[in-house]
Amino acid sequence: MSGLSVSALWVRARGRAILSDLSFELGPGELLALVGPNGAGKTTLLRTVLGLVRPESGSVLVAGRAVATLSSRERAAELGWLPQARSIADPIPALEVVAAARYRFRESRRTAEAKALAALERLGIAHFAERPITELSGGERQRVLLAALIAQEARIALLDEPGSHLDPAQQLEVYRLIGSLWRSGLTVLVVTHDINLLGALGAEERVRVLGLDHGRAAFQTSLADPEFPNLLGALFGIEFVSTSAGRRRVLVPVFAEGERAS
Amino acid sequence: MSRRVLGVLGVSLAIVVGSLFAGPALEGEHAPFVLWQLRVPRLLVGMLVGAMLSLAGASFQIVFNNPLATPSTVGTLAGATLGALAALAFGIEPEVAGLPITTLAAFAGALSASLLVAAVASSGRARMGDVLLAGIAVSLAASAIATGVQYVADSRALFAASRWSLGQLPQVGYRGVGVLSPAVVLTSAVLLGQTRALGSLVLGEDAAHAQGVHVPRLRALVLGAASLGVATCVAWCGPIAFVGLIVPHLVRLAVGPGVRLLLPMSMVVGAAFLAFCDALARSIVPGRELPVGVLTAALGAPALILLMARQRA
Repeated sequence: MSGLSVSALWVRARGRAILSDLSFELGPGELLALVGPNGAGKTTLLRTVLGLVRPESGSVLVAGRAVATLSSRERAAELGWLPQARSIADPIPALEVVAAARYRFRESRRTAEAKALAALERLGIAHFAERPITELSGGERQRVLLAALIAQEARIALLDEPGSHLDPAQQLEVYRLIGSLWRSGLTVLVVTHDINLLGALGAEERVRVLGLDHGRAAFQTSLADPEFPNLLGALFGIEFVSTSAGRRRVLVPVFAEGERAS
Repeated sequence: MSRRVLGVLGVSLAIVVGSLFAGPALEGEHAPFVLWQLRVPRLLVGMLVGAMLSLAGASFQIVFNNPLATPSTVGTLAGATLGALAALAFGIEPEVAGLPITTLAAFAGALSASLLVAAVASSGRARMGDVLLAGIAVSLAASAIATGVQYVADSRALFAASRWSLGQLPQVGYRGVGVLSPAVVLTSAVLLGQTRALGSLVLGEDAAHAQGVHVPRLRALVLGAASLGVATCVAWCGPIAFVGLIVPHLVRLAVGPGVRLLLPMSMVVGAAFLAFCDALARSIVPGRELPVGVLTAALGAPALILLMARQRA
């Protein structure tokens, strides 16, 4: 089984510390959400785990081995990545985008495409196969990229703001998908601002949250923690009230009457 | 295979065969010599060069993630020009090991310029934008040195250099085919072998890295292999403009942007395109030949604009 272990990680860029002495463990099958203000180092953390950023010191272990010592294909067997939404210029068919994620398997194109189709089917979007990726909506495209992640069959998924640039219905859909992948055994590290969507992933007490502030771990807790709204408020420097929708807790940022637009 | 692919293959084949019959009619006692010692080898060289430049252009456009990348983006052309010019200006021996000194010097210049840039690219830290800039810097430096060489060269060397820079396919016999074939075969084997890795670059270099592609190694392989092939072509024929830029775009518009078809079809269409341009170059003005580079630019640019306009419509 494969987990992720980050210990005493320091990353510096141009003399400024992006990550400071950061440590956390992510066991096999666990889910950890990274929250924090923009610039806190969330994306840098994912990129460091992937080996795209070289840390100054500290270690990133995947399945007990330092990530820098893995070959490209070995690393791809452990770590998959859903990058932050970016524009794609070429009208490549969705199936081909997903099949490209099978690179690590050294298999025939036919096999790669069959596996890619299976991944699209698993997400209920096999009918996108021939559609150019550039013609899909944001939510459709995000689901295709999730299918690529599934096709890669990595044990740990690193997800960078999977809901950004999506409308609320698409966001919910994407988080439900991630939740179902997690519950079927995927280990997940997800960077997010969509705090209220974390509840869509699965049982609140199993959703772990790491608050990142200026590259430091501000808190580690679970979504079910009664103190979570206060921790989050301190992290972002605003106040959250928690209200409930059915059995779910919903966090709402508070603003004073005077701040309301007139 | 899709109907579009078959159509493109058919048209390309027709152009290649048809180009043998462009120009004065093949008749009389010299006809076999004209056909087998002049036209066929010239056609083969044109096809090899067209295929090589187009494949290199397509690969570079993918690796650099830039639709304006050309086979000379990594300084190949500027290096070759400097080498040829230096040989014409200072060359003592006209031939070394049976090959013209101009050709050898152009090859050395092209290869050293582009391998310098490939070395920058293979450093894991360089972003692809840095590599493009390195290519521009090497090109500018080579051009500046070439200007210095021009300043001290005599007028005969200058004239020969400007002739060289027009690009040329004419030859007698099969020596060019013999020189170009190994380089083209080797380069295309390497580049076509990287199709899957290049396909992973669709979502960007970082995503390809996450999917298990060793990106610095891929860059070094592609730039190194393509530089070898392009340097050989440029050394033998001089620079031939526009082919490597335009053909991959024509192919994308005709059969789609997928890497799997783009690379081999660029070779096919590039071979046919250059054969077509050369057939026109030697038959459009009776009794005179135009430099083929003039035709590639004159035909390629409007064709591209036309196809893009149709695509948008």
